[in-house]
Amino acid sequence: MDSIRIYSPEGNVGRPARSLAASPDVLTGLRLGILDNGKPNAAALMERMAEQLTLRMNVEFAGVFSKGSAATPCEEPLLAEIAEVCDLVLTGSAD
Amino acid sequence: MSVSEGPQVVEVEGPVGAEPEPELELADASAESILEYFEERGWGDGLPLVPPTRDRVDRMLETVGGEAAAGEVVATLPPRFGLATRRILAVNAVLAGCPDAVFPVLVSAVRALGNPALNLRGVNATTHPVAPLVIVHGEVVARAGFNAGLGTFGPGNRANATLGRALRLVLLHVAGARPGQGDASTQGQPSKYAYCVAENVDASPWESYPRSMGVDAASAVTVYCGENPHNFHDMENDTPGPILDKAASVMATLGCNNAPINTAEFFVVLGPEHAATLAGSGWTRRDVQSYLYERARLPAQAFRAAFESRVRRPWYDALADADAMPITDHPDNIRVLVAGGPGKHSCVIPSWGMTRSVTLPLES
Repeated sequence: MDSIRIYSPEGNVGRPARSLAASPDVLTGLRLGILDNGKPNAAALMERMAEQLTLRMNVEFAGVFSKGSAATPCEEPLLAEIAEVCDLVLTGSAD
Repeated sequence: MSVSEGPQVVEVEGPVGAEPEPELELADASAESILEYFEERGWGDGLPLVPPTRDRVDRMLETVGGEAAAGEVVATLPPRFGLATRRILAVNAVLAGCPDAVFPVLVSAVRALGNPALNLRGVNATTHPVAPLVIVHGEVVARAGFNAGLGTFGPGNRANATLGRALRLVLLHVAGARPGQGDASTQGQPSKYAYCVAENVDASPWESYPRSMGVDAASAVTVYCGENPHNFHDMENDTPGPILDKAASVMATLGCNNAPINTAEFFVVLGPEHAATLAGSGWTRRDVQSYLYERARLPAQAFRAAFESRVRRPWYDALADADAMPITDHPDNIRVLVAGGPGKHSCVIPSWGMTRSVTLPLES
């Protein structure tokens, strides 16, 4: 059987311009916020996590912020507000 | 484009498109061997594929600028952030079995996918079964052999089938929307294999759909991210109201994402016979939109009781529980298209929700 030369179907990958911030080594004393994505159970899950982190790590709870929908990115003004008052943010999805 | 607002796609920093697309050397050129090779790598859609050799890909590229334009990045597709160059689109068009003449439609459809208003990252990542529907308009329909008539959503036409399939292969390969990885759809839906129809403008009593959206071009493409079509038939009536009441009944359900997301669109695809009945009574496309907006409603309490997570305009909150609440918040959200052939059937296509359709002129 003859060989064949074909293109890969995937092509190349672009590099996202944004990168994740480094995680802090110590949580104690940092300000913790929740970015609620609007899923019915997301806030319940993350509020419980924040409660435990407050009790165990002595973080400072900075409040819950809502981005309205899990299906779209957080708006820049809200991100800026969160960055102003939080050192850590919990976010995620929970159907 | 139907709407300019919407979420932003993550920006990609350059240089992009400078690297040549990777080529592979396979020891065995048999159809079975190539299919197994793709399957082992998680590539393909499970169906047989045409090998994307350089000569086949080059022939495809000749339809839209040839080698000189082959490196242009038409869009960067999340969640993988794959670079959809014209060449890599041609590779996937060959894999899908596309005739060369449909390739410009694929390029324009992928350009539409890259529009932030369409929200491709959400479309690919959601647990909803959403699939992008490609609607082909204008002179390219006849020239490239698309079927706008009888069975336009169905099988048996190479242009419709392979163009829809090529777009899905682009999503699988370039965007990385593979089930369980970049595609979290709980159940999927059949239209994730191929989802392409053509506007039957010759049988439509109204101006072409792109023109109604402000796109004045010989040919155009619309991409709309929604569910599978839901049929309604009416063989009994020769006046608009009873026919469109059936469409409104399909629309006004809690069983679609339009219910919790009232800012979303619908596509109502009318068969030519229904469209002729409506227009014969003097109804314009706008009349159809306005009537459906008024009739596709449920009591506000039904929506409030059914969904904790809702996306709505503020004025909805002022409605009393017993008030009839529109399933979508503006007549413009109800997109009316004519497609198909003889018979008393039409359909409604609900939206995924957090997405807007995009209409673009065809690539040249």
